[in-house]
Amino acid sequence: MDWIEQLIREGTKTVDEVEVYYGEGTSVSAELKKKSVHLATNSVDCGLGIRIIHKGRIGSSNTSNPGQWRECLAAAIASAKLATPQPWEGLPAPALLTDVPESFDSSMKIEPECARDLLSRMLEGAEAHPAEVTSGSAGLSRVEVTLANSNGIRYTDRHTDVSLSLEAIHKQSTGYEFDSAWSLSMVDPVAVGERATFFAHSSAEGKEIATGEYDLLLSPLAYAELLGGVFVPALSGRSVHAKRSRLGDFLGKSVACEQVSMYDDPHRPGSGGSVAWDAEGTPTRRTDFIKDGVLQCFAYDLKTAYRYGKASTGSAVRGGSGGLPSIGHHNFVVDGVRSTVDDTRVLYVHTLVGAHTANPLSGDFSVELSNAFWMENGEFTTSVRSAMYSGNVFDLHHGIAGMSKKSRTLGSLILPSIKINKQHIIGK
Amino acid sequence: MRAMSGISYYDLRHVTGETTHIDIDNSVVESAGTSFVNVAVLRVLSGHGWGVLQIDNYTPCTGTKFEELLERAGRLSSITEEKVVLGDAPHGILPVPPVKEDPCQVPLEEKSDLLAAIEKGARSPGIVNTRANYIERVEHVHFSDSSGNEYTYRMTRSGFNVLAVASRNGDLQMGYEREHSIHGFNLRHQGGIGEKAAETAIALLDASAPKGGKLRAVLDPELAGVFAHEAVGHASEGDLIHEGNSVLKGRIGEKIGNEILTIVDDPGLCEFGFDPVDAEGVAPIRTEIVRKGMIHAFLHSRESLASVGDGCAGHARAMPGEPPLVRMSNTFIEAGDATEEEIFAECKNGIFLKGSRGGQVDPGRGVFQFNAEYGYLIENGECTRMVRDVSLSGDILSTLHGIVLCGNKRVMSPGYCGKGGQSVPVSDGAPHILLNDAVVGGSGLD
Repeated sequence: MDWIEQLIREGTKTVDEVEVYYGEGTSVSAELKKKSVHLATNSVDCGLGIRIIHKGRIGSSNTSNPGQWRECLAAAIASAKLATPQPWEGLPAPALLTDVPESFDSSMKIEPECARDLLSRMLEGAEAHPAEVTSGSAGLSRVEVTLANSNGIRYTDRHTDVSLSLEAIHKQSTGYEFDSAWSLSMVDPVAVGERATFFAHSSAEGKEIATGEYDLLLSPLAYAELLGGVFVPALSGRSVHAKRSRLGDFLGKSVACEQVSMYDDPHRPGSGGSVAWDAEGTPTRRTDFIKDGVLQCFAYDLKTAYRYGKASTGSAVRGGSGGLPSIGHHNFVVDGVRSTVDDTRVLYVHTLVGAHTANPLSGDFSVELSNAFWMENGEFTTSVRSAMYSGNVFDLHHGIAGMSKKSRTLGSLILPSIKINKQHIIGK
Repeated sequence: MRAMSGISYYDLRHVTGETTHIDIDNSVVESAGTSFVNVAVLRVLSGHGWGVLQIDNYTPCTGTKFEELLERAGRLSSITEEKVVLGDAPHGILPVPPVKEDPCQVPLEEKSDLLAAIEKGARSPGIVNTRANYIERVEHVHFSDSSGNEYTYRMTRSGFNVLAVASRNGDLQMGYEREHSIHGFNLRHQGGIGEKAAETAIALLDASAPKGGKLRAVLDPELAGVFAHEAVGHASEGDLIHEGNSVLKGRIGEKIGNEILTIVDDPGLCEFGFDPVDAEGVAPIRTEIVRKGMIHAFLHSRESLASVGDGCAGHARAMPGEPPLVRMSNTFIEAGDATEEEIFAECKNGIFLKGSRGGQVDPGRGVFQFNAEYGYLIENGECTRMVRDVSLSGDILSTLHGIVLCGNKRVMSPGYCGKGGQSVPVSDGAPHILLNDAVVGGSGLD
């Protein structure tokens, strides 16, 4: 794109370095109200994010109008004047990249009819149990991003995405299920529909539970809600150096049971977050955060790495096309010794209400259970009407008694179900 | 052309504007600057349901160009099945309240210096991290529809957060203060607010986790406001009622609380959730969701009004570039006549909960949860030991009966509320309230 070359030329006349991140894409979605399609949308998106670095000062701006790039560049340069200067050793230059297949499904048609078909198949699945569908949605999108910088990088990447969700109710009991992937062949709309009405129907006749300590089996979904908001951010180098991470002093020490490992694998075959370069153009690689329960390292982007004398782990990500880079992950995997986790009697928890209210620093939480069941010999028996679960996200990792054989992909998290013994449940 | 395409209604909402932010972390200006937004959303009713076009970087157009856009949106609606009917509602716009000092007129350097002073205030012995953020959003909104309604307004929202982190023996606790406003620049004269965040963080290091169970609870105005928002507000949204995903469906006239309980949503109130006109051109209207303990009305868009009834349209809101949803704006429990002293004396033994870390509701199941920033045990009517990480949960249909006293002074707090992937500015408020049989969650054992 000529205007990107022009932007970089223009910018480097007055500042040391210029970086451009530009994305354009299209998406369609269709929504159900009860069982009827009620709304269809199409959006054409574009976003331009400009970052400039001058004498260690980093400035940025973004816009949805690439025609406005001169104004956006001027705003980025003006913003750098205010930033506190920091050690800076340059944006990346082009490098030999690992050959990572694109998460791009060329057969995916970004058309409303495809979204409608996905909704129909979810409704088909939903027929399996006697619960009413209340709402649902199906969306398809395609985006192409370009990263260019004044050090010669010109990278592009394409990505497709399909996402599905369905909500159902039976009496005063609700069920929700969803799925998303980069390829149409990787989602199962019929199963999404079936699970949504299954949870709504089977939770309807719940029994109360007495306050006490119980052995829990957290579904990947319930586990993700606790892990994603508290534990994963504590692995960010920025949180650690800013002294906002409870894991900051634990390098080389035990932070979980010894059968637990956590890593980010940006080259994981078939996973949606797989990419050869991160949001700043640093080549990606596998980062092992926790090996056999012991904390190995933290995640870094360039800014944090330069400031604290570390190397970038290729962990920069962006929130949307115009977004600034920040520390994140690509395919975050919790792995370890797998076993049968439901052979003894456990309290299975499908989702939580209010997990985002957990204390993000200390990890203490107190949440409401949703779709909880007693489970025996791998089968759901009685459902539990309502109860609260109190604990600590960091501490519970020391008490993991087992991990299921199967994992589930939830956005960029790839997680098993986890069994934790003696957890504090407050009955009503 | 419109008649030929079968288009019975359309509206267009175009938002342009600038967002300015400053992030200061441990005295380092991490980033500061301005970004730009230009987005539009075109909704068309043709045949059955909605066809919606979301356009980044929209240039206003007329004639053939605009008709092409209508055609594109109309084609989308061809896959819809549900017949959408729009209820009648009075159109109109309120004046945007004047700002005392326009944030746009204050140079970025000065804003940064003022924010740095607030952040510096939070630095004190025992504090290991301080962080302050400033955010300013200027939006120029242009709304027009096929019935000839047209409105233009400019809104500026600005404010800041300050965070202090205290650490001792591996324990981390935080104190957090925020002020956001539609009334103009508010970084001046904020001496003491950073210090307050630091004091809370340090005090929390010595606080204990409460023992979970059923207790009498006094909720401060901020947390009681979140209670109204989570326990009643969401479940009264007309779209959820229509879908059958709310326990309040079919309960108009039913008693769900005490005589003293009135819960209101008012988008015309000049608080952080103020909109001069709603996202479909309808004049903002005050809705009493609960009146004297009885379910009185639901919140509506024109569509949910037509399909559900019982309430008024004027509660449709949208993030720039997104289609409108039925949303709360400024939601509050009306003040009663109890003094604070009477509330604590009546509670006698229980727990006082302060501040909010957010909440969530499953409106179909009627179960909600929300979290306080901290609290104190109440013993013999007096606040004693500090407690942390206290949450409350309950059933919508039974918990509200437990509100037995409402204080005589209502206070509103700004925040943001998420629904359907959209986040909009809101405010919640209440007086102090006394809640009997509150289900309190906590990991404490004694």
